[in-house]
Amino acid sequence: MIGIRILRRLGGALVSLVTVTIIVFALIHLAPGDPISAGDDPESHRGLSAAARDELRALYRLDEPLHRRYIGWLGDIVRGDLGRSFQDHRAVSEKIAARARSTILLNALAILVMLGIGVPLGALAAQRQGSAWDHGTGVAAAALNALPVFWCALMLQIAFSVELRWLPLYGLRSGDAASRGLLWRGLDAAAHLVLPVTCLSYGAAAYVSRFVRASLLDSSAPEAWRAARARGLAPFTIWRRHGLTQAALPLLTLAGLLVPALFGGSVIVERVFAIDGLGLLFLEAASRRDVPVVMGLTLLAGCASVIGMLAADLAYGWIDPRVRRAR
Amino acid sequence: MRRRDTWVLALLFGITACSAPGVPSQRPGSSVARVLMPSDPASLSLIGRPDRNSEIFAAQLTDSLVQYDSTLRWVPRVARSWEFSDDHHDLTFHLRDDVRWHDGVPVTADDVAFTVELAQKPILENRVYAPLLALVSGVEVVDRLTLRAHYPEPTPDALEAWRIPLIPRHRAGADADLLASEFARSPVGCGPFRFEHYRVGEEISLVANEDYWDGRPGLDRLVFRIFRDQRTSYQALRRGELDLVVLAPELWAEALRSAEAARWKSFVYSSLSVWWIGWNMDGSNPFFVDARVRMALAHALDRETFASRVLNGLARPAVTFYHPDSPWADPELKPRAYDRALAARLLDEAGWVDHDGDGTRDRAGKPFRFRMLVAVSSMQIVDLMLAWQQAAWSSLGVQVEIEKVDFQRFRELRAAHRFDAFQGTNTFTPSPDLYELLHSSQRDSGVNYIGLTDPEIDRLTQEGRDCFDPELRLEIYRALQRRIYETEAVSAQFHFSSPVIHDRHLAGIHPSPIDIYRTADGPRLWHWTAQEPFP
Repeated sequence: MIGIRILRRLGGALVSLVTVTIIVFALIHLAPGDPISAGDDPESHRGLSAAARDELRALYRLDEPLHRRYIGWLGDIVRGDLGRSFQDHRAVSEKIAARARSTILLNALAILVMLGIGVPLGALAAQRQGSAWDHGTGVAAAALNALPVFWCALMLQIAFSVELRWLPLYGLRSGDAASRGLLWRGLDAAAHLVLPVTCLSYGAAAYVSRFVRASLLDSSAPEAWRAARARGLAPFTIWRRHGLTQAALPLLTLAGLLVPALFGGSVIVERVFAIDGLGLLFLEAASRRDVPVVMGLTLLAGCASVIGMLAADLAYGWIDPRVRRAR
Repeated sequence: MRRRDTWVLALLFGITACSAPGVPSQRPGSSVARVLMPSDPASLSLIGRPDRNSEIFAAQLTDSLVQYDSTLRWVPRVARSWEFSDDHHDLTFHLRDDVRWHDGVPVTADDVAFTVELAQKPILENRVYAPLLALVSGVEVVDRLTLRAHYPEPTPDALEAWRIPLIPRHRAGADADLLASEFARSPVGCGPFRFEHYRVGEEISLVANEDYWDGRPGLDRLVFRIFRDQRTSYQALRRGELDLVVLAPELWAEALRSAEAARWKSFVYSSLSVWWIGWNMDGSNPFFVDARVRMALAHALDRETFASRVLNGLARPAVTFYHPDSPWADPELKPRAYDRALAARLLDEAGWVDHDGDGTRDRAGKPFRFRMLVAVSSMQIVDLMLAWQQAAWSSLGVQVEIEKVDFQRFRELRAAHRFDAFQGTNTFTPSPDLYELLHSSQRDSGVNYIGLTDPEIDRLTQEGRDCFDPELRLEIYRALQRRIYETEAVSAQFHFSSPVIHDRHLAGIHPSPIDIYRTADGPRLWHWTAQEPFP
């Protein structure tokens, strides 16, 4: 039974994935210009000859009709080949793999921080609905959401890296880290991660705290909490039994949506902190019309979305027997 | 939390914060220069897909036959001499016999021929040298150290093509695709620095070539640190993690006022880039065929004030495309002066008068309202310039609508002559040849986008291409400048300047209108002076 449900979901997800790739493929090809002219120097009046451009179009299959190009790309994907970048002719899989590690590390930590701070704060605000704490966290959440990341990143850099010199300014490791011991390298990496992770997570943590608060209030948890306190249960036990379980379902939905964010990268944070991640790779590939790289990253994000949503869907049934029975 | 846990945490934080991670590990005097590179090079293959960053990288790693020095004069590099045949169809280079690749193998004429052959392959997408080498019909290796290039048409600017970075056949010839080859991951050249490592998005490290034929570089190591964000690179400079930065204009004034300014030296170099306005003169609009209108709009702009107040002095009003520091520039010509009254009179004479009193000039019922095509840019300056021009012309009764489009679209519209006027930047080589941009034969299939048809300009651009006599050539190109100026065939606005800030102990930097990296006097001459205590 559960197997059929998974297969049905996978089938639907596959259709969505193919649709997304068709749309992205069409958009990037139908935009003005082409991948060949995207490489031209905007400040030079010289460039490749018409014959050279034609040869390159043939090399990159740009002279074929759009549908044949897409089918060709899809065929390569089925064979496990993401293609080669128009930019430097390197394998797309190699380019993605080289940057995925830093992006996944950064985003995984940001998600942990976001949940680690957002969930307890939200639960506390729900428990103390209407209190000064509740109002205070609400105002703080709105303020944090409104703070532009690039500005905040700059302020944090100036304060902690330039003036106080407590933390590194950029990158994910020091230049000489490879020659140091394991502990030093661990501390070095931790120090490098503080500011980018903060920038990536503060807005999302604020959002999660309000999300959790709203979810708990919707499920009448405060009454359960009051009853539990009246029974003499410890605050942590109350939070675990009534808070976390009540918020679990909506949080699972949120977590499912967060899985693709692991690979999404953040252009602003990667740019400001000089981290060579997938966000910048996508931006640069899109601006250079590097179709194979754009499509490779689209596919990766699409697959992550599918996996995230499928995992969340399966977890609903595991957590809540009512959902399982209803299905 | 227990007291012991608190101490452990405090210790960890202390180690993390204070014990080196992220703190500059290089100090002035250590003979390592760390300089800003604003993005990763498109390729390390030396001749494949050259962009500005890969050209800067290639210029350190390998040499060319000839090169400009910082005063824009040709100097011999791997070629010790060269000569044209009497009929100017053949250009012969005589190579030095003491130049070696970084692996010790001697550089030969065969390597040069290989470089030329490879650079013209479309798969390498060499947009810089392939168009220049296309003028060569054949390259002959006369002997181990002699190379002859044949030109079907005599080409006075033939040397431009021979600035191409040289690559070794024995290292780069094995792979069919140079861009994806092992050579492009670990390139070998014959220049003053050898390749050490490249960490994508982080840095490229080069070490001094001890056996460089023109003397060992003054630095032990040259490190290009990659920062896409200008502000981050500026903060890195403040922290002492960069030794040299070419700053964005908006950060220039801030840097000079900063607390760290005493640690730095600064200078400005004016580049060969020209920001210019192209008026469409193909007759598709009623405005710009008349030279008086073009001159009026140029006179209406107070460029001196704009350059000093808004651009912090980081721009020089331009006369034509020729850089004022170029030996080709006519020193008699001065930028067209700001004269609003003259601008109004010229428009009146051209028949553009505000007949109906609505604040906009008109002629034969047609209001003077035109579209200015501009490519979307991340440069803050562009928006400031557009707003300034719009206001200046509007006060004269001329209305301009800005049409901002993606660069690809900009190119399409410009090539199809579908614009009234456009603005953009061109970066020129030191060569004086403007045939492609201005000759009437280039209107339909070339890059004479503005539809210019001026017999005198046609004659001068053609004569300049045919003339090998340096003095006569100078006369021709100065006459060309005067003609461009008199007819305001193009409205060159500014030569932008690049502000450089560097550690005060780093010396030997030779700015030139090309830049500080890509001349014969580049980073190989940089060195650290004796360290003085910081004030």
